[in-house]
Formats: sequence, C-alpha cells, structure tokens
Amino acid sequence: MLISRGKQRFLTILTYVVLLGFSVYCLFPFLWMVVTSLKPDAEIRTVDPSFWISTPTFKHFDNVLNNSKFLTFFKNSLMIASITTVASLLISIFTGYALSRYGRFRGVKLFSVAMLLSQMIPGVLLLIPLYLVMKNLGLINTYASLILAYTTFTVPLCTFMMKSFFDSIPIEMEESAEIDGCTRVGIIFRILLPVSLPSLVATSLFAFLNAWNEFMFGFVFINDEAHRTLTPGISLFKGLYQTDWGSLMASSVLSVLPIVILFVFLQKFLVEGMTAGAVKG
Amino acid sequence: MKATKRMSALTAAVLLTTALSACGSSDDSTSKESTSTEGSTTTTKQETVKLDFWAALDPSTDEGKNIQAKVKEFDDAHADIDVNLQVISYDVMHDKLVAAINAGDTPDLSWGLSEWFGELNNMDALADLTPYVDKWADKGNIYPNVMEALTIDGKVKALPNYLGIRALLYHEDILKAAGLTEPPKTWDELIAAGATIKEKTGKEAFGIAGAGVRSPQELIMYLAQNGLTLADKQADGKYKNTWQDNPDQLAKAAEVFKFYQDLLSSKTIKADAKTWGWEEEDQNFVLAQYAMVVDGMWIEGRSSENPDGMKDVKVAAPPSKATPATFMEIAPLYVYKSEHPDQAWELASFLLGADYQQVVNPGKSARSDQQVDSGWGKDFMALAEQGVVFPAVSLGGITKAMEDSLARAMLKNDSPEDVAKWLSGAINDSLKKTGELSAS
Amino acid sequence: MRQLELERPTKIKRKFGMTLREKRIKRVAYLFVLPAVLFFLAMNAYPLVTVLWDSFQYKNLMNKALSGWAGLANYTEVIHNEYFRKALWNTVVWTVLSVAGEYVLGLISAFALNQKIKGRTVFRAIIIVPWVVPIVVAGLTWTWMLTPDYGIINLWLVKLHILDEPVYWLGELDTALLTVVFVNIWRSFPFFTISLLAGLQSVSRDIVEAAAIDGAGVRKRFFYIVLPQLKTVSLTMIFIHVIWTAINFDFIWVMTEGGPLYSSETLPIMIYRYAMQDYNFGNASALASLMLGFMMACFVIYYMMTVKKNRR
Repeated sequence: MLISRGKQRFLTILTYVVLLGFSVYCLFPFLWMVVTSLKPDAEIRTVDPSFWISTPTFKHFDNVLNNSKFLTFFKNSLMIASITTVASLLISIFTGYALSRYGRFRGVKLFSVAMLLSQMIPGVLLLIPLYLVMKNLGLINTYASLILAYTTFTVPLCTFMMKSFFDSIPIEMEESAEIDGCTRVGIIFRILLPVSLPSLVATSLFAFLNAWNEFMFGFVFINDEAHRTLTPGISLFKGLYQTDWGSLMASSVLSVLPIVILFVFLQKFLVEGMTAGAVKG
Repeated sequence: MKATKRMSALTAAVLLTTALSACGSSDDSTSKESTSTEGSTTTTKQETVKLDFWAALDPSTDEGKNIQAKVKEFDDAHADIDVNLQVISYDVMHDKLVAAINAGDTPDLSWGLSEWFGELNNMDALADLTPYVDKWADKGNIYPNVMEALTIDGKVKALPNYLGIRALLYHEDILKAAGLTEPPKTWDELIAAGATIKEKTGKEAFGIAGAGVRSPQELIMYLAQNGLTLADKQADGKYKNTWQDNPDQLAKAAEVFKFYQDLLSSKTIKADAKTWGWEEEDQNFVLAQYAMVVDGMWIEGRSSENPDGMKDVKVAAPPSKATPATFMEIAPLYVYKSEHPDQAWELASFLLGADYQQVVNPGKSARSDQQVDSGWGKDFMALAEQGVVFPAVSLGGITKAMEDSLARAMLKNDSPEDVAKWLSGAINDSLKKTGELSAS
Repeated sequence: MRQLELERPTKIKRKFGMTLREKRIKRVAYLFVLPAVLFFLAMNAYPLVTVLWDSFQYKNLMNKALSGWAGLANYTEVIHNEYFRKALWNTVVWTVLSVAGEYVLGLISAFALNQKIKGRTVFRAIIIVPWVVPIVVAGLTWTWMLTPDYGIINLWLVKLHILDEPVYWLGELDTALLTVVFVNIWRSFPFFTISLLAGLQSVSRDIVEAAAIDGAGVRKRFFYIVLPQLKTVSLTMIFIHVIWTAINFDFIWVMTEGGPLYSSETLPIMIYRYAMQDYNFGNASALASLMLGFMMACFVIYYMMTVKKNRR
C-alpha cells in the first residue's frame, strides 16, 4: 500500500472534482455552440442568455446542410487533410529515420536545425511569398496548393515525433534484420513501423488536425466554392453586417464532431504513441 | 548486389513519396486551369471570356440569392462571357486582394469597401473606366456627388455598388418613457437627453463604436458636423491635414473629442462603448439596451431575429453641431486592369443597370431613378446630400490613427487638444509614408 | 521530443576515415531526408530569404517611388515605432503566461487522468475537445460569451455576485491581453495533458513504490521522483509551445485585433499590420527578422545552458 485508505478515498474524490472542473472548462464553449445551433433565431442573441432552449429547432442544421455548400467544404477538407496526413507521414518517416539513425552526418544534423528554425517564422509572413510560389507553379485555387502548404507546415513536427519514436527502438532489432538481408526500406516498413503503430497514429492525428483546422491559407489560396475548405467555409456565415450565429454554430458543431469522435476512438493510441517517444524525448 | 537492390528499393520509395504528394496537384491543375484567373494567354485562344467576380454577398439572405440569380441571368444571356462569381466576405477579401494584386493575379471585378479605394488606386490595380462611362447611357442616373467621389484626377476608377448612408435610429418607446417627443437635433440636446433617459429608464441614450472599422466612419461624421475634413487636396494635387496650421480648425477638432469624452462622462453612452466594435454597437441597439444610434439600413434586417426589440425603431437625421452631416459609405464596385476590359465593363454596367438595382438594392441604390418612396429606404436616402466620404487617399494608416485617437481620448483620457494635435500629425505622417503628402 | 538530439553523443563514432559501407549509408541518409529538404527549400527557405532580403529594401506598395537598398532604415523605423516596446513586452507576457498556464493545467489534468478511476476514458475524451475546435470558431464563441451585455459569462458572474457589474473583458486596457491568454490556455493545454500523461504512464511504478517503502510522503514522491522523470517531456513541450505561442497570430487577431489601444498587440500582430494594412513590406520584413533573431537568441542560450548542464 502506498497510501492509507482514508487518503486514498480523499484522493479519488479530489480526482473527480478536478476532472469535473476540467470538463466544465473544456466543454463550456462547445456546449454553448451546440445549444446555440439548436436555438431559433429569436432566442440566440438576447439580453438574458441561457443554456435553456424553449423551442429547439434543427432549422440551422437544415440550412447548413441543404442551403449551403457545407458538404462540399467538408469533402474538400477531408480530402486535403487525408492526403496531407499521408504525405507528411511518408516524408517524416524517412526523415525521422535519418535523423534518428544517421544524426552523425553533418548535413542531416544541419537540416534538423534548419527545420527547427523554420518553426519560428510567423505564418503571417509566409502568406505573400507562398502565394507567389503557388502562382508561379500555377497552383492557385487547387487542392494541391493547400496540400503542399500544409505538408510543409506539418512535416517538421511529424519528423521530430517520428525521430523520437525510432530512437526508442533498440538498434539491435535492425541489425539482426539486416543480417537476414532486409533492405533499409524493408527494415523500416517491415520491422520498425509495425512496432510503432500507436506512434504513427498519434503523428497522423496531429497532421490531420493541423490541416483540418487551418484558416488563413485556406482562404487566401482558394478562390471558388468548389475547392473551399471547412474553416473558411464556416466563417462565411459571419456576414457583412450581421452574423448568422445559428448556422455558424451548427456548421462548427458538424465540423468538430467527426474529429471529436475520431479522437475518442483513437485516443488510446494517442497516449500510447506519445508514451513511446516521450520517455526518450 | 545487395547494395543495388537496396538502392533501387529506396529510389522506388522516394519516387512513391513524391508521386503521392504530387498526385493532388497534377490532376487538379490541369482540369481547373481555366478557373485560375485569366492570365495573359486565354483571350486569344478561347472564344468565351471568363470573368472572375468576387462578391461579399450573404448567400443565406434573399438579397444574396437575388444577386446570384441576376448574375446567372447575365451569364446565360452572354454566350461569350462566363462569369465566375465567388462569395468572399469583406473580412478576408482585403487580404486576398492584396496577395492577388501582389502576384498580378487579380479578379476582373470585385465588391469592396470605400476605405480601400485610395489604396487600390495607389497600387495601380484599378482600370480607368472613363471612356466607358462617357459613352454610358445611364451616366446621368448616378448621383453626381457619388460619381465625383469615385473619380481620381479626372479618371473614373470605380463604380458605386450600393450606398450605405447613416442615419439616427431611435427606439421611440424609450424616448417616450423618458418624456421626449422627438430625437435630439444637436450634440448638446443629445447629452441633455442622456441624463433624462438614464434617470427615467435606467438605459443609456446613445451608442458609439469606439473601435474597429466603424469607429473612423463615425469620427469623420462628427468632424464633418463641426465643419472639418480629414485631409484636403492642395495646389500640388497632393493631400494634407491642415488643422495644425489653423488654430480655429484645431479648436473645432478638439471640440469633437471633447464631445466623445462628454458622452462618456455624462453616461450618455455605456462605459463599454468606448471600445465597442460595430457588432456590440448594433447588437445592443437591436436588443433595445440603449435608445439611439447612428447606423445603417442593414439594422432593418435584424427585425426577424429580434422582433420585440426592433418594433419601435424610427429613423431621423443624426444630431449635429455646426453643419448637418452624415457618413455616406459608397461601397464601390472595383473593376481591375485585365486583358478583357470590354467584357468586364459589360458585366459592370449590367450590375449598375436599372433592372439589377431595382431587384438587389432597393433603398440603397446609387441611381437617382431607383428611389423607393416609403419605409426606411426613403428616410435614409433623404440624407444623401449631406453625406460625407473619406478622401481618396490610402486610408490604412489614417483610419488606424483615427481609431487610436478615440482610444487616446476615451481610454487614456488625454486632453481633447492633445488628441486633436496628435491625430492631425498622425494623418500627415501616414500621407507622407504613402507619398501623398502635399509639400505646401 | 526534439530538442535534445543535438547534444546527445552520436551513437557510433568512428575515428578512422569513412569506410565504403559508411559512404553508402551516408548516401542513404541523404536520400531519406531529400523529400523533406525539397519541401523545406521551396516553402520555407525561399520565403525566409525573401524576408531577410526585403528587410534591407525600401518596399512599400503604397509608395513605389521610394525603392531600392535601404540599409538599416527599416530596422530603425520599426524599433522607433511608438508601440514596439509595448508589443515586445506583450509578446513576452503572452508567451510566458500562456505556456505557464498550459503547463500547470496540463500537469494537473494529466495527474488526475493517470489515477485509476472509473470514467477515465470519457474524461480523457472531454479534455481533448478544445484542441480540435478551430481557432476561428473558438475565438468567435469566446468573444460572444465574454461580452458584457449579452454574454453568458458576465451574466453568471453577476448573478453569482462575484462581480457587481459586467466587465468588458476584451475591451479594457488591463484585462484584454489576460483574457486572450486565458482563452489560449483553454485551447492549448490538452496537448500538454496528452504528452504529460504519456510521460506519466512510463514513470516506473517500482521506483515510486520503493520510495514509498522508504517512507517518502506523497508530496516528496511527487517532487523528487515523479517530476524529474517528466523533465524531458516537459522541457520539450515547453520549448515547442514557446515557439508556437510567440508566433501565434490567429487568436489575438480574432478576439481583439491587438486592441484596445495596442494593449494586446504582439509582434506577429504588428508584422501583420505593417504588411497587410500599411503594405510596408520592408518594415514588416525587418520586424519579422528581428523577431526571428530574438527567438534564435533564446534558442542558442537554451542550447548552451543544456549543454553546460549535461557536461557537469
């Protein structure tokens, strides 16, 4: 026994209190979003705001799903975020492996510092240069522009995550495989990746979330509704002189829910995946 | 042997990676080539011309739907023109335009705010519409003062999309409850009413926007009501703020800031109003949290969401000081330099045509032949001739300085004289930075 | 996860020259990083070089008459901006308070989630929610909830008699920045929670139990045994988040635009203003370069300190 029974009970109660407090803090704005999305217009902006809905309505959800291009935006975001995730994962697996195993080469080391520095550039500043790059590549208003940009933004962190996961795998495992005649790529895909599956999930979740939530580049690179992504799409409900709060919140709820569900299902991997890398750092 | 095998596998993997990351690009850029704006190549090759048109319409409103329907009508009627209408809110349109102009990749037409007029002109992005306007049959139907505001150095550089005239809106019931039969006509009456209304109803009399885009629009109105302009064109064709050269003007400007401070100290406005943006200002008025505001036509649209708070709202002329004046927002329709100005004009003149204006802009059209004779539209348009507009210079730095000057007066409690002096200097600094400051 | 790789001694050190095998491995290593390098060159290095170059040029879209080499003019202009110091200080306050708050909340929540209690999964899921809400949406919602007249937070605080009258949290000089910090903590602490929880789960129970047997109390066990084991992951998280928070733009822009009267203006906001409102890319680039310089300086200092410590 580490602690006495009385202390144990106190600790459990304290834990629940703390967790409940955190739940309120975390869910409060989200619940407000949900409640607002279910309120009729007349109840949304009042002098006496409350969580109580006297006449709940699905009007806003109907409006969002049937009268706006929400589903197109959703599909676009899903596609862009998925491709970004796969691309950054593939790139960062190799880069992370190189950083983990070949850190002794000066070029590799230099590149890892350069990637770290690239994290320090404020995104605002990249807007115009990247717009020019995209325009010169003829990519303005294409999915590719966003995929390229988001991949660039996520690769550094994904690489560092993958590196630390690989660090935690003993090199002996590879050496025996090498003796068996495995190629380097074979080693990575057949031996290392299966072992670090949770880490892969954690890394992909991170990349996916980043691409899913990005706003500014999504707006500036994309000119038409057919290619627009979710966050810029949602903000269209913020009108010129007034905001359609009901629809804004309904669309936010619809865009957040799938991700929440995804995270709930994959969270076991998330913590496990981070555990693998966390110890080593 | 082993090495070659390893290398080839590796190359394959790298290739796979690049292929995967590039696959999104290849199929997309080819199929959508025509969407990415008209560069220099397409005109000669293709028969149909594609026009990119960015509009800040709200697709969920009737107005937005009307606009989309009308533009589609135009599109269908012109076999040689393909209009690509994009909904982009004002919030982000500015940044998008700046990025696009920088990359030489502008749309053909766009909505915009009047605050960007000088900037876009300075960036040399706007087409010269003079030859078209001169030949245009409808030219005489546009208010002359509106057309003049969109003309720089004798060249027409934009068209009026719609007018946003500001008027005094008041909750009649609150005024009645305080025993007032009609809204105040002067600043002094307003402040006097403030005390009465606060005493009788517990609510504040007035609302202002102390921050955000709305605040300079209100400040320029109060300045104009005291006979002041932000910057005047000098003999050399450039601009200058003249307050500091002229003690009388400086004193008048100080009076304006004193007015703001008095509103605050006499509790005519809520204490929070000193940093309200337009959303807070509008929302609180719609909720009948205070009695009066100088605001635009769009407030009428709020009745659906707050029928109770809105049912007693009436329209009057804004209270003033020396001269009656109100802010008139001329939301411009910008036509950019492009390879096919004729088609762009075709669309632009359609958007300003009687038919389109009648359907889309009742009560806020810049056409004098499209006036409504009842309701809010009539009351607002009656104020058209006392409308003031921003000078046609780059306003980015100037509007920011105006916003700051209000914060200095109301948050930092600087003396009105100091604030007036500071603003005058800041306006000229900004003009100097953009190369528009007169040497005289 | 990342910061310590630099000081860790390379795994295999060979004193003698490169063998054939080593050369081959080197080629493989470079091939592996190639895709990332390509991305980096096109999308990071090129813009970065542009920024550095522009910072020494007169480049103002509004005033094309003035162009060419500017020397340090942009830098002096930026430093002499009335609000430069204010913005610098705000950036420090914003970063330090945000990261500190996130860490403390992350630590507490991670500990709570590490207890063996019922409903752990549910709580873990709930705590992730803020992290997946898009910043724009979160900013708009919080702004609304915090307004004085129709915001639910003020209403409740007044009803509960915590406040006498509603406070305009985002509109007062002395509360605006702190309020945005509060919301930023809300959004970012779950990332700390997950990482610290991961760290906690790998803390060896044997050591903790052994310490308990030796008579170490709960507090002692926490401070002397558990915390040191979290050191690496903590430092990494803090390091990453200091960078991310310092360059963060969205939250402040969505909620206050840097106001009122620059009281919540940080350096990225100022950069944005220079670039997108004044169109003065020279000044914007100079400020960005300065900021990059500051952060690199911090990075170097941190690096030197860890190296020194490790040597000791």
